[in-house]
Amino acid sequence: MEAPESGAEAEEVRKEGQLASEAKVHFKVTRFIMEAGVKLGMQSIPIATACTIYHKFFCETKLDAYDPYLIAMSAIYLAGKVEEQHLRTRDIINVSHRYLNPKSEPLELDSWFWELRDSIVQCELLMLRVLHFRVSFQHPHKYLLHYLISLKNWMNRHSWERTPVSLAAWALLRDSYHGALCLQYPAQHIAVAVLYLALQCYGVEVPADSEAEKPWWQVFSEDLTKPVIDNIVSDLIQIYTMDTEIP
Amino acid sequence: MDRDLLRQSLGCHGPSLLSLLRSEQQDNPHFRGLLGPASDTARGAPPLQARKERRGDNIEIQKFISRKADLLFALSWKQNVPTVSEINEENEDYYAVMPPLEQFMDVPSVDRRELFFRDVERGDVVIGRISSIREFGFFMVLICLGSGIIRDISHLEITALCPLRDVPSHSNHGDPLSYYQTGDLIRAGIKDIDRYHEKLVVSLYSSSLPPHLSDMKLGVISSEDLPLHYRRSVELNSNSLESYENVMQHSMGFMNPGVVEFLLGKLGISESNPPSLMRGLQRTNFSEEDFAFMLRKKQSASWALKCVKIGVDYFKVGRHVDAMNEYNKALEIDKQNVEALVARGALYATKGSLNKAIEDFEVALEACPTHRNARKYLCQTLVERGGQLEEEEKLLNAESYYKKALALDETFKEAEDALSKLHRHMQVILYFPLNNY
Repeated sequence: MEAPESGAEAEEVRKEGQLASEAKVHFKVTRFIMEAGVKLGMQSIPIATACTIYHKFFCETKLDAYDPYLIAMSAIYLAGKVEEQHLRTRDIINVSHRYLNPKSEPLELDSWFWELRDSIVQCELLMLRVLHFRVSFQHPHKYLLHYLISLKNWMNRHSWERTPVSLAAWALLRDSYHGALCLQYPAQHIAVAVLYLALQCYGVEVPADSEAEKPWWQVFSEDLTKPVIDNIVSDLIQIYTMDTEIP
Repeated sequence: MDRDLLRQSLGCHGPSLLSLLRSEQQDNPHFRGLLGPASDTARGAPPLQARKERRGDNIEIQKFISRKADLLFALSWKQNVPTVSEINEENEDYYAVMPPLEQFMDVPSVDRRELFFRDVERGDVVIGRISSIREFGFFMVLICLGSGIIRDISHLEITALCPLRDVPSHSNHGDPLSYYQTGDLIRAGIKDIDRYHEKLVVSLYSSSLPPHLSDMKLGVISSEDLPLHYRRSVELNSNSLESYENVMQHSMGFMNPGVVEFLLGKLGISESNPPSLMRGLQRTNFSEEDFAFMLRKKQSASWALKCVKIGVDYFKVGRHVDAMNEYNKALEIDKQNVEALVARGALYATKGSLNKAIEDFEVALEACPTHRNARKYLCQTLVERGGQLEEEEKLLNAESYYKKALALDETFKEAEDALSKLHRHMQVILYFPLNNY
């Protein structure tokens, strides 16, 4: 621990430390949402909605007031309804229980099970109210897919075929929900930024980009600037560093 | 690891990426051969000059690449899902069909031309207008592409030749070319390309097209047949200040609820095996046992078994109706539950509903062929039923039941005995035919 500083500085350090540890918790819990999502057969958009609901909820409330895993389970349930991929609470409970208690036996249909189910349903209502019933979001996914199609047509087809830009960009976008980028930047900007990073990873140059009047990323989003792209990319890379820190 | 991909990335980012990769991936056997020891840089391979010798913030990206290199350059990434057929179905209802990207970027014509001739392939479909007709064929000026890639070429004045032998004739005699006129809108397949001299030869025969496009009609077309991306491109030309985003958001297809699913198919990205660059989320680390489907199955079997146990207890004290309820409950929870089926079958048999019992035992045995009780009870019930039929003089029917029982368990004495008794009975009948006068 550091030597004690003046009152205000110590308070700042304490706050930063708290934010950092909270970020770790949120990373862990959103990881849970993503993994549970795959095991429940959820598609990318409902998973993204669940994470966004989760992040938004904890912007409005404090972490120590609620069990983040219960919030996460309710977020999954709510997202399933919002995105028309309805999930059964029984499956959510089964997958979550197994995640938190690996190799355990399947749950019995007893009072504990019913209580947990009730908690999820009640939590869902609580979350809806905290979020003012605004639980539908514009996600970057739709934009990213269109950008990829446009880019695909402009690139040499062999070059495109052997370079998994689409997969990398989609992976980056899915992974970004471990953090709260979805709440900090508009959907189109995030879509362009993950595409930019994917192209960078493979060293792909968009043909004639330097000879064109407008760079490709400017075409996709008129109000986007290079510094914003750099910020999003930086934030995204930062999210990945937490992966190695969490056991 | 994919060497070409790695080389491409190194070519872009230069020596700093190489040294980062060496330190991050030093324990990874797949990289050993590809990166070489630190002293190797001068040997044979061209010096790594970073294409972008710009910003230092690129270092953050390079560090990311080096940490994730084993995932990014893994060969397994490419086999995610095969793309849905390349037929450029430009159905505007499924997604927002956009004008070519280079049109928005405003790429100079000389570059568009160069890239067109670099990227066009034999078998691509082109659309253009006939500019002149000679004895040896006709020339057409290309206005757009009809498959493969999508480019903005209408103002590039690219001409292609369609030789006489590649023009199918429309009548038994006479010149095939007489069918055509200057100004006709033509769809053709590219047969030959001279990239250096920028010359194209096309054909109106479907054989020039790849197999999945062989249904496409070549020859004269009308303006309604022009691809959607071209029509949008023309609209954009007359309104050049329109942004990509506006065009996209005003397109009907953008609102399609299934647009994400559709485009994922077009791009070859799977939702059931989603890609990730997080180590913990690699799908290969997940066990099937932890998936919702498997958990539910195990759980249903467990819940059903509980009901069966309660049912058996009822049965033992003669509370048959309650027992039946429990068995039915169990089967509602888990339709194919073997224990529930066997228990219910036994209850049916006890109550004399032999056919229902046989049905349950048969389903149970099919689900679990090694279930001893299912087999035993089925045999017993078959023989019992056979006995009933024999009493009703339905001898052949009875015989089939006894035979079935023996087929299931050839050591089942009762079935054997019943069958022999039946055969003697039948012989007696045959021997002394009934009087029929």
